[in-house]
Amino acid sequence: MSILLQQLINGLFIGSVYGLFAVGYTLVFGVLDMLNLAHAAIFTLGGLIALWLVENAGLSIWLAFPVATIVAGVLGLLLNQVAFAPLRKRSDSQFSGLISSIAMAIIFEAGALGLFGARSVRFPVGTFAAHTWHIGGITITLLQIGIVCVAALLMVILTLFIGHARIGKAIRAVGESERAATLLGINVNGIIALTFFVSSALGGAAGILFGLYFNNLTPDMGRSIELKGLAVIILGGMGSVPGAILGGLAFGLSEVLTVAITGTSTLRDAVAFGVLFVILLIRPSGLLGRGKTREV
Amino acid sequence: MKLSVRTLIGVVTSVFLLAAIATPARATGIKIGFVFSMTGGAAVYGTSQKEGARLAIDQINAAAGSGLQIVPIFEDDASVPQQGTNVFNKLINGDKVSIIIGPTLSNTAKITDPIAQRAGVPVLAISNTISGITEIGDYIFRDSLTENVVIPHTVKIAKKKLGLKKVAILYGNDDAMTKATYEVFKKVLQSSGIQILGEQIFAKGDRDFSPQLTQIKSQNPDAIIVAALAEEASGIASQARQLGIPKTVRIIGGNGLNSPGLIKNAGDAAEGIIVGAAWNITSTSPLNVKFVNDYTKKYNHAPDQFAAQAYAGVQIVYQAAKASNGGADRKALRNALAKTKNLDTVLGRFSFTEGRDANHAGIVQEIKGGKFVVLGN
Amino acid sequence: MEHLLQFYAIYGSVINFIGINALMALSLNVTLSAGMLSLGNAAFAAIGGYTAGILSLHFKLPYVVSLAGGTFAAGLVGLVIGLPVLRLRGVFLAMATLAFGEMVRLAAVNLNVTGGAEGLTGIPNVTTTWMIYLVLAAAAYFLAVLRRSRLGWGLISIREDETAAGSLGIRITYYKVVAFVIGAMLAGLAGGMYAHLNYLITPRDYGFFIAVDLLIYNIVGGIGVWYGPILGAVMLTALPEVLRGIGVTAGPIRLGINGLILLLVILFLPNGLASLFSRRQRSDAKVEAG
Repeated sequence: MSILLQQLINGLFIGSVYGLFAVGYTLVFGVLDMLNLAHAAIFTLGGLIALWLVENAGLSIWLAFPVATIVAGVLGLLLNQVAFAPLRKRSDSQFSGLISSIAMAIIFEAGALGLFGARSVRFPVGTFAAHTWHIGGITITLLQIGIVCVAALLMVILTLFIGHARIGKAIRAVGESERAATLLGINVNGIIALTFFVSSALGGAAGILFGLYFNNLTPDMGRSIELKGLAVIILGGMGSVPGAILGGLAFGLSEVLTVAITGTSTLRDAVAFGVLFVILLIRPSGLLGRGKTREV
Repeated sequence: MKLSVRTLIGVVTSVFLLAAIATPARATGIKIGFVFSMTGGAAVYGTSQKEGARLAIDQINAAAGSGLQIVPIFEDDASVPQQGTNVFNKLINGDKVSIIIGPTLSNTAKITDPIAQRAGVPVLAISNTISGITEIGDYIFRDSLTENVVIPHTVKIAKKKLGLKKVAILYGNDDAMTKATYEVFKKVLQSSGIQILGEQIFAKGDRDFSPQLTQIKSQNPDAIIVAALAEEASGIASQARQLGIPKTVRIIGGNGLNSPGLIKNAGDAAEGIIVGAAWNITSTSPLNVKFVNDYTKKYNHAPDQFAAQAYAGVQIVYQAAKASNGGADRKALRNALAKTKNLDTVLGRFSFTEGRDANHAGIVQEIKGGKFVVLGN
Repeated sequence: MEHLLQFYAIYGSVINFIGINALMALSLNVTLSAGMLSLGNAAFAAIGGYTAGILSLHFKLPYVVSLAGGTFAAGLVGLVIGLPVLRLRGVFLAMATLAFGEMVRLAAVNLNVTGGAEGLTGIPNVTTTWMIYLVLAAAAYFLAVLRRSRLGWGLISIREDETAAGSLGIRITYYKVVAFVIGAMLAGLAGGMYAHLNYLITPRDYGFFIAVDLLIYNIVGGIGVWYGPILGAVMLTALPEVLRGIGVTAGPIRLGINGLILLLVILFLPNGLASLFSRRQRSDAKVEAG
């Protein structure tokens, strides 16, 4: 019984990181109807920059975390300026936006490779206090609890922000209809830039948490999570933030349980993609997405 | 501006021809082609190899003075056989090298080495450890000790020192090297009468091993056999200890774990890991000590097995070149290589077997006090 | 003549790969021209490649028969998958085909008949350069003809505006499936030829990144014209070699240049490099706000 419980707890931790990552993805899609495939690269850079700050600038993780998160947000602004904003007027903007995000992802990854090298690196020992609890056969570390708390906190803040703050409502308005929003006097360009900032900051934060959790950062660490992130937002419903959170948790749990049951992680991916495939066929709008699949 | 298709074709072809005809720097010496994976999945290993090779080349050339120099040509195969093929062709037909050292990945070697064999160009593999490499032909050599040699020795020593009765296996099944390691381990364990409680699988690039490790923990093995590369191994070790698997349950692995990177990344969790390997970093042979010191001074981090095998590879080739009049004749070079006997290298006293594989003693190491130390002999 | 032989000795393999990549890029072009963002062609190449490889290796069938087997296997799977999947649009279709692609790759890694992670070895290497280019020329011609046919116009109108096309009586599902299957078969053929090029194929040869590469060849080259994908494939396959020739060795720079080229093309040359050559302004060039 305790094995199962341990597996569930493992799933919860990884699920919260997935959720945090997916929220950024879905935010941009919800507002712009565009898939930002450079999100995973910013995820990677967030983690690597935090590592650099801790190792080379001697910052404590509590300071490095917000700083790196903000830097990630700024990268998101850059991404918007260079790759998305110029394309918004085009009628095939969804498609070309996708392509240019792929291009930026490659450029970001090249940057990560150039700046940080190919070796895998980890946060120095002692970055985060190591404390483990063993309760009735289950093991939980302080780090894991910290990660879940931070992820949860960020997601709650975001949900409240979008739901109630004025700017949050503006974001939703732009998501509904750009024209209507403009007519209402909303600075659409500014809102879009803000959305990118928030989305990328969250992605970067997820990268830092991921790096702390697994202690293994490489320039291509985004790749493993990229496809999963997409699967999560489709599962949860494109454009829905609570959907992304739920989807992330569900995904983390299913991953862990598949491996636990079958003993191999290759089937884990096959199950994940199989489920994704089936969902796309039966209910493309996902668990909490809007009823109609959006027009391309 | 409207270009014509003809112009474009002309431009592209010219660039190609220029690149083909352009001669590299003139130098008398033996031209060695190095094919390492500097980008892509195996970039971590390729980087190590290049550093080791570079160190050897610089030292040899400095010592040679006006004698035989090494003229190196480094190429990247991007961890994919396609590029490996392109690069081999370029080195063999364009640069006309005398010998090729590499490539990094065994899968690439399977495709590229036959090209060299057909063209009569010797190849020295320095990191391919699966079977079917030297069998490609008599121009293919290898200085990397295979798992077939390393692992039986490892299991024997471990069993003796730890009294192993039952183990669990965790291996990567989508990488030729780790899969080969697993298969050898399994065979050896079975013939040693050690019970295999269960086998868990992971994929390359995985970071989360807690599901598999949780299962393993519940099986209560005496030790965990890990067939992985250093990247995954450090994650496995950390997570195993985090999950509460006691240190008395040792982690035992093959060639892939022989890397200081494992100690660096896994930290305290690396204590007690047993590694069967080809290269003993703690060897007190003067050659090895000097190598480790020089390398650490030059690159600011300690060498790993990939670097050591690259370094030794250059030495072996250079010796053969000297013995065959400068190595310009590929066939003579090949013959001189085959005759290598008891050469003093950082890997120990080195010879080639009849099948052109590495013939030197392997080592079983243990991580103790944050360092590799020898476990038994 | 001597120089030409020398050139071929060094670059023969590059030329072969360019040919195969161009063929694969063409296969993707069929579906792209209908506006379908299918990313499954790498998987179809895998199916074609592995089938052809197994037929040659285990059943000792002649080369052409194995190729045909691979092509039809890919087409069959394309039909079976296509019917349910093609109801999806845009990003959803991309995800579904991607998921399909990953499942194929995982099957290849885990099944014994495909040799697992080590791949299938010992396939007789009988594909030659002229064979590749003959097939490529035939495929290009076929696609050029297709484009001018009823099917071709139907596909373009689907891309322009699917709903309007439907209301004009164009059988959308039928056309989409046909395009999908043609693309799958071409990819399967390319995969089969590739398998016989190198004695060995591994699951990694057909992964997610290959699928993305094919998309990039088409974008950079230009979707609208038959030689667009070929141009893209030539340029991007040859690029590492050209960079090598001028001394840019591997690493972040080469990677960065790839990304930069793609970015520049999509920002400033949305119809790809082919638009530099095309004399008439393409009527379906999308530039204005919709």
